[in-house]
Amino acid sequence: MARIQCVVVTPEATVCDAEVDFVVIPLYDGEVGIAPGHTPMIGRLGYGEMRLRDGQHTDRYYIDGGFAEVRDDMVTLLTNRAVPASELDSTAIQQNLSAAIGKVAKTTEEMSVRDRLIAQGRGQLRVAQRAGTD
Amino acid sequence: MANLRVLAKRRRSVRIIRKITRTMELIATARFKKAMDRAHAATAYTRRITQLVANLVHGGVEIDHPLLQPREETNRAVLLVLTANRGLCGGFNTNLIRAAQQQLNELRAEVPEVSVEVAGKRGIAAFRNRKIDMAEQFTQFEDKPRYDEVEPIAQRYLDAYITGELDRVDMVYMRFESASRQSVAVETLLPLGGLAGSEEGQAEQDVPFEFLPSAESILEEVVPTSFKVKLFKCFLDAAVSEQIARMVAMKSATENADGLIRDLTTLYNRARQSRITSEILDVIGGVEAVAK
Repeated sequence: MARIQCVVVTPEATVCDAEVDFVVIPLYDGEVGIAPGHTPMIGRLGYGEMRLRDGQHTDRYYIDGGFAEVRDDMVTLLTNRAVPASELDSTAIQQNLSAAIGKVAKTTEEMSVRDRLIAQGRGQLRVAQRAGTD
Repeated sequence: MANLRVLAKRRRSVRIIRKITRTMELIATARFKKAMDRAHAATAYTRRITQLVANLVHGGVEIDHPLLQPREETNRAVLLVLTANRGLCGGFNTNLIRAAQQQLNELRAEVPEVSVEVAGKRGIAAFRNRKIDMAEQFTQFEDKPRYDEVEPIAQRYLDAYITGELDRVDMVYMRFESASRQSVAVETLLPLGGLAGSEEGQAEQDVPFEFLPSAESILEEVVPTSFKVKLFKCFLDAAVSEQIARMVAMKSATENADGLIRDLTTLYNRARQSRITSEILDVIGGVEAVAK
């Protein structure tokens, strides 16, 4: 069976380079699943969970925005940060999230910064909580 | 002839200094290799971003973004200077500071309001001596600048530029060209002169990409990201160049110490020999005097 090459690159390092059966990536407006033979695509990533399924085994990562490119059974993710879900600390995230929600934003720019922080926090929290369930 | 003990002491101190410079050279070499690996990783990222932009353009997207448009009137500019936190790296800091000073003078002639931001203790000290006010000082960047640390700086420039508080960002840093060649670079970071890869011809042959959610939305994100990565790359370059500069400086210091040790040893041996000779002469003279 055809498999997919999945490469995750951050400005600091190549976080992951693996061949898997199925990839789910968090796009800006929802998750998208990519199986072998997917049509070429460029997508904007949101803050959420990437899953790499290889047989029965699933790897989970938190992806912090960026871009995805799909071509020739190869998925390339360019992101600021990619953290394995097991390394997320939900209490710290919860704290940051509450701090972000409590922040007073007066201008449009401040509001967009706050929205981004909240989206990041919620995304991380979701990934961290799901990591605990399996 | 110089005193034997003084010579021995000087030789010992040169030996100790040689040990230090040699160790520093080794440390700089190790750090350079690590910094180099990181720079390579960042290059992989920039290459892919460039490719992505090329694909976007090929997909028929008009590249247009506030960050790409030059301002009609430049009222406020920032000059960012990247120097090292430590010295003992040859002309690294001096060259950077000289170039920064020159660029600052040019900027001040053109732009009414220029603020200076300096990274690295050496640069900060130099600007303080010249009585130039610095708007920001960074000392947290060592041999491994982290993206999380650079990103807020980039974001601050982006926000200021978009809201119109800032019209131009210039940067002075040591560009890494190859292991044997680094040069002082003065670059204008904002407005972005153009996106790398936005020229036609680099895109892959007619892959019909689908853009999710839309090409415009992707572009909106690509432009600031490529700016951030560009800035990060400059920090990495500066870190690599610093380590190379230190490595070279320490290597020549070690070689110089070797030469000094050799010269001192020759002097020491000669002094010792002449002392022995004069002692023998003394003894012989004494014996002859008694025999007479």
